[in-house]
Amino acid sequence: MSRPLKLAVIGGGPSAFYVASRLLSLVPQSSATPLNIHLYDKLWAPHGLVRYGVAPDHPEVKNCVHKFDGAALDPRLKFFGNVSISSKPSSLPYNINHPLSALYPYYSHILFSSGCPIPTANPVLPFENGKCVPALSLVHWYTLHPSSLQNRLPSMKSTSHVTLIGQGNVSLDIARILLGGAGRLEKYDVPESVLQVLRESDIRHITIVGRRGPAEVKFTAKEVREMMTLEDVAFIPIEDTVLSEARNHDLSRQQKRIMELLKAGSKAKPGTTKKSWSLEFYRLPHGFASNSSGQTLSLDVTALNPSRTQAVSTGVTTSLKTDLVVTSLGHTIDPSNPAPSQFYNMDLGRMRTSTAHRGRVVIPSSPNSDATSGEALTASAEERLVKNMYASGWAATGARGVLAATLIDAHAVAESILSDHFSASTKSQSESTSLLNPSPHLSDPPPFISSALAEGRITSYEDWKVIDAEEVRRGQVKDGKERERMDWEEVLRSGLIRRT
Amino acid sequence: MPYHALRSFVMSSAECRRSVRTVASICSAHFHSWPSPSNPSPLLRPTNRLGSLATWERATPRRSFHSSPPTRHNEVKRPEPGSGITVHFKDAKGTLLKTVEANEGDSILDIAHEYDIDLEGACEGSVACSTCHVILPPEYYDLLPEPEDDENDMLDMAFGLTDTSRLGCQVKLTKDLDGITATLPSATRNMFVDGTKPTKH
Repeated sequence: MSRPLKLAVIGGGPSAFYVASRLLSLVPQSSATPLNIHLYDKLWAPHGLVRYGVAPDHPEVKNCVHKFDGAALDPRLKFFGNVSISSKPSSLPYNINHPLSALYPYYSHILFSSGCPIPTANPVLPFENGKCVPALSLVHWYTLHPSSLQNRLPSMKSTSHVTLIGQGNVSLDIARILLGGAGRLEKYDVPESVLQVLRESDIRHITIVGRRGPAEVKFTAKEVREMMTLEDVAFIPIEDTVLSEARNHDLSRQQKRIMELLKAGSKAKPGTTKKSWSLEFYRLPHGFASNSSGQTLSLDVTALNPSRTQAVSTGVTTSLKTDLVVTSLGHTIDPSNPAPSQFYNMDLGRMRTSTAHRGRVVIPSSPNSDATSGEALTASAEERLVKNMYASGWAATGARGVLAATLIDAHAVAESILSDHFSASTKSQSESTSLLNPSPHLSDPPPFISSALAEGRITSYEDWKVIDAEEVRRGQVKDGKERERMDWEEVLRSGLIRRT
Repeated sequence: MPYHALRSFVMSSAECRRSVRTVASICSAHFHSWPSPSNPSPLLRPTNRLGSLATWERATPRRSFHSSPPTRHNEVKRPEPGSGITVHFKDAKGTLLKTVEANEGDSILDIAHEYDIDLEGACEGSVACSTCHVILPPEYYDLLPEPEDDENDMLDMAFGLTDTSRLGCQVKLTKDLDGITATLPSATRNMFVDGTKPTKH
């Protein structure tokens, strides 16, 4: 029998599943190499951002879960939900918590597919006052993400004007959900409580602010098109000078098409509708003041450097009265979880990975460095490969890329894992000694996982499929809604997770 | 490393032995579909694994490469040899992977899945991703109707986009497309199924 490949994957989202699926299809069950893959997710439900990130009115993207279901049919794959692999206690009350090192004796390989869970903050827009929230909290709200139990969203009842900071697809998703009305969302999987808030909401205008110009927007054509065709929602036209200035630059095909959409504007003409939205360019948040009459966001007017990569304040400020500010500035990693700090590059907001060896985790190889020391170094000194540890998806690339990018990356990392495992060639980079176990029990999870699973505190994929079916059933009884999402307390109350 | 080379790397003669599996162990293996309210105790259907014990071609059921229940994809029937529309699949370097035959109305994605070409379709043909992106020869590209806005929106984000790129799920075969070549783009990193002949042990 050949050296086992027993892989613990930290994360159970699309990257984790695509890597797992690829490994399972490349290594037949009849292979002499025992392959076993265990996915750990801190959420009780698998699929990560596919379930808790993709907009509810984009259900086709979620077809990818059928492939994940297929992978999970392979007996060599197991999923363990409600498990937080972390050096500090989890914020989710139901989690089983274990540090990464607890897994080392039971696995020969580790893959970090843990994503970028921390919303990037703007220091001038603190979240404490309640009138400024990260976009992620809204996404968690309308997907019934477990953390939403801890979030306090401001009441939408007196919210008439919302400002989104950041011109990416997350901003457009939120603008579309908030402005498009509950009616168009009823058939999808938006929780009833959210639909109710949307029905009662009286949001009239959303301003989406970006520090650069129309040529530098990060949202994509499909999402712009959707905004421009929303019923009873008008787009306030962009000034001609701003648009024509942007079109003077060398634009990619994608940029050209987006500019055309922006120029053409919305189906509904401004002035004829109750609701509207607009884009503000060359504006950078300066401050946010709350008083009895409401909130005022002050914005710096920016100018760009010649390559248009940096926006700097010109010293001129404008102000905008608004009821709610939502920052949508991307995401970054938790600097010490699930891996030791040394594994992270905080400048880039992702794990340190090798450029020469796709997906391999590296650490700086200063004389005192070892894989367990605590400091997070940002300088890219000489790097050493961390033996048998890999990273995929946003944890490895930073928080960018849609499903296609995730898929391509996952396939490359799977290939890397297998060619490392089967090849005897020495690496061009130095390598640390393995912290993991080259001869673990072939298929069992650690005993602390098995026992929590037996107690029903950890969910298996089988458990998920039973809950999945129940969510769909509950949706069906509501006029054929796609599903009615359940939270963990409802899952427990339902008795669906059966244990002998 | 090309997929087919990687696969045989894994399955090299030094690496693999045919594992001895009893009928009992195969039947206890696993389900073919998830138990659901409408299918509470799925029968353990015999798999072609029993028949393919002597081969290396696939140790898991036919469609499991794409890991989705057979009903998921549009059912593609293979035409009588010689009577169908010929499609050549090539990798990014131009190496021929397979020449296959399809029926009128089949999409390139459906054909790719039927013949185990390594072309993903993450959103399963609903124009919500770009994973089935293929590159066509100009003379065939020009025969097709223009892409709609939604397809162009997805193509915007495809890796290795060219002037003759299309989403495989949107290219429906017709007789005048006979002999078309669909080339997998270069960012689809060397992944393709080779159809290696099984090695007997």
